[in-house]
Amino acid sequence: MNLASACLLAFAVLMAWIATLAFLRLRTPFERLHVVTFFNIVTGGAATAAVIAADGFTQRTFKCLLIWLAMVGAGALLSHATARALHLRGGERL
Amino acid sequence: MSGWILASLGLMPTLLAAVVMAGRGAIPGRLVAVQLALSTTVFLLMLLEFAFRQSSSLDLALALAFLGLPGTLVLVLFQERWL
Repeated sequence: MNLASACLLAFAVLMAWIATLAFLRLRTPFERLHVVTFFNIVTGGAATAAVIAADGFTQRTFKCLLIWLAMVGAGALLSHATARALHLRGGERL
Repeated sequence: MSGWILASLGLMPTLLAAVVMAGRGAIPGRLVAVQLALSTTVFLLMLLEFAFRQSSSLDLALALAFLGLPGTLVLVLFQERWL
């Protein structure tokens, strides 16, 4: 592991903790959906960048890149579907 | 102890908090907590592969990333219509 990947990993963990604190702090599910998106993009992106910085472009780093892209794409879809479902239910039990 | 293991341990509190939040409170909040737990687990498995050099955990993360979408969509649909 080199210095760049170590720094990126530390950044990923720090962002994960910030996301967790925000998740505990925010009240409504609509606000918390932003935290999930933040986690997917920032923490996942930093972890993937750390993997690439440590290993270069190999088969498993391409897998990690694919995982991150899948999480970002699926996260956008899930955020929309979840917010729509909560909105349709009227938000009476938020 | 390598940096990968330390980073994996650093992600554990996030997973723990998401799992705890998924088990308490109103149903919409639980649903969002499940999504956070899913994301955390995927990236945790990704880091564990580099920590222990076990390629199966990366395949597991890949499968979880792709299967998490329809699984959570079913939960969302269930929440929208029946819960």
